[in-house]
Amino acid sequence: MKVKIILLILSSLALGLLLSGCATGLTPSSWPGITSDGATAYVASANAVYAVNLENGNELWRFPEKVDAKKTFYAAPVLTPDGQLIVGGYDRVLYSLNPQNGQINWQYAEARDRWIGSVLVANDLIYAPNADYNLYAFNLKGEFQWKFAARQALWAAPVTDGQRIYFGSLDRKVHALNAHSGQLAWDKALTGALLGSPVLGDSGQLYVATFGGDVFALDRTNGNQLWKFAADNFVWSAPVLSDGVIYFGDSKGNFYALDAATGAKDWSLQPNSPILGTPLVVGGQILFGTEAGSLYAVDVQGKNAWNQNLDGKLYGTPVAGGDLILVAPVEGQSLLIALDQAGVQKWAFAPAKK
Amino acid sequence: MWDTFIVTPLTNILLWIYKLFGGNFGLAIILFTILIRLVTHPLMASQIKSSQKMQEMQGSKKWQEIQKKYKDDKEKLAQEQMKLYQELGINPLGSCLPTLIQIPIIFGLYQSIMRALAASPIQLLTLTRSVYAIFNTPALLPLNSQFLWMNLGQTPEKIFLPFLSSGIPNPTLPIIVALTTYIQSKLTMPPAANPGDQSAAMGKMMALYMPFLLGYFSLTFASGLSIYFITSNLVGILQYALLGKVDWRNLLPGGKKGVAKPK
Repeated sequence: MKVKIILLILSSLALGLLLSGCATGLTPSSWPGITSDGATAYVASANAVYAVNLENGNELWRFPEKVDAKKTFYAAPVLTPDGQLIVGGYDRVLYSLNPQNGQINWQYAEARDRWIGSVLVANDLIYAPNADYNLYAFNLKGEFQWKFAARQALWAAPVTDGQRIYFGSLDRKVHALNAHSGQLAWDKALTGALLGSPVLGDSGQLYVATFGGDVFALDRTNGNQLWKFAADNFVWSAPVLSDGVIYFGDSKGNFYALDAATGAKDWSLQPNSPILGTPLVVGGQILFGTEAGSLYAVDVQGKNAWNQNLDGKLYGTPVAGGDLILVAPVEGQSLLIALDQAGVQKWAFAPAKK
Repeated sequence: MWDTFIVTPLTNILLWIYKLFGGNFGLAIILFTILIRLVTHPLMASQIKSSQKMQEMQGSKKWQEIQKKYKDDKEKLAQEQMKLYQELGINPLGSCLPTLIQIPIIFGLYQSIMRALAASPIQLLTLTRSVYAIFNTPALLPLNSQFLWMNLGQTPEKIFLPFLSSGIPNPTLPIIVALTTYIQSKLTMPPAANPGDQSAAMGKMMALYMPFLLGYFSLTFASGLSIYFITSNLVGILQYALLGKVDWRNLLPGGKKGVAKPK
């Protein structure tokens, strides 16, 4: 009888472990997020946020210092004008860290779900999207100001023109709120969920890409549609706007350049595999990563300047850090790789096990 | 292989039900659970039949005589028990094999619910690649996980009490899970073959232990799992009732203390 009881307890524990394994996922939940102030790169990846010296790729600090399985980070950290590093965790806690040493300034633990998207810091406020359907606003001391409830999860940072903030939600809507009060100015339902951030145009437009595979140009004052472009498949991240051209990739591996005024296609190309991240425009080149692990640089005509095959999958957005280009592959040997603007690798950072 | 043959097909069936019933994921989980229980009903019926035969055999005079006669010789006891199984045409694994077959289905079902909820970017990317071509994936995903007052992808929301400002998880769903599990165990518990029947004692212990365990799971895992537990419990009671195996008196205080009559 005792043996049976022990077996019963052990099998229950095994069931619990299996279920929890399924619930949280034993594989990474997302891809790393990077930000840089020109001297240091801050990378949120799995169990830690790392500060890496851009000169040599050495680790400066990590948060938390010791692995805590409950804490995981993927949203790109954001620096505030008053010297904080804001990063949200999948442990439902939003942290303000000291960028010099990774010590906690303050934290907010009242959200009900994960912080998947990065925050926006503007107007002396921190606008933080959470998967619990709410956009939270805090002052720079981390004190809660207000929140706005959408109808589904928020996975990407808002943008602001100073008067309003604009953000998308998995509820397929783009929302425009008063930047100070959080009051809804307008919202507009689109053809698919919005996984990435909107982009502000130069003449009152708002560009939004959807999981439905469309890119929209909307009028920022009222949300009216100006034009729509249908890509081949879903568009995961925000497009980028440069010199009147919109650049973005889709999950079929197409990369597009559109006229920002009309939505007409200037050119497109299909390198080698799905393109999920937002492109980076730097030094007259447009850079984007592919799932096959290639980092491509093309000129404004779409001609290949160079491409570099890296170890791992490039789901995230390349980031400029000083003169370097930073990428964080998934399932590769290195967490962070720095290249110069000709595509030559300068260093690679792989965190030491602690 | 597990993914291709179990999780992916179950996920697509779940998505098909979701699409068919107007994009209500809670309803889809309920219908999906009923469907799986119906498909595995023959296994369950065979398990109940085998258990009943076993109960009858353990209540028989012959079985009890063997127990007494060979109580100090376990090897001989096992041989005699085996002989009796063969004589009566009982498969000793008959009651547990169907249960074992159902376990991977339960895991696959839970995994498919969690996959369909796609609560993070990698999960959504994985889901897009699991969906069969018959679906218009971008129009279908991500799913609407709101059902009644719950977000099915989240653990129960916190409620704040005047004396507990930090809040506690809303216990409504875990209580319903524990209660339905308890009721199902009580209603479907077979009568003991004899007063000292170890399996009956085990069954009683399970009836007390499982409600707490599943209640704890529903407190700590996504609410979608609780919907599955509750539906599964209620359908289980219905299945037993249809087979005439529910003893409603077990629910009453001081109700029948079932002991099978020796034959």
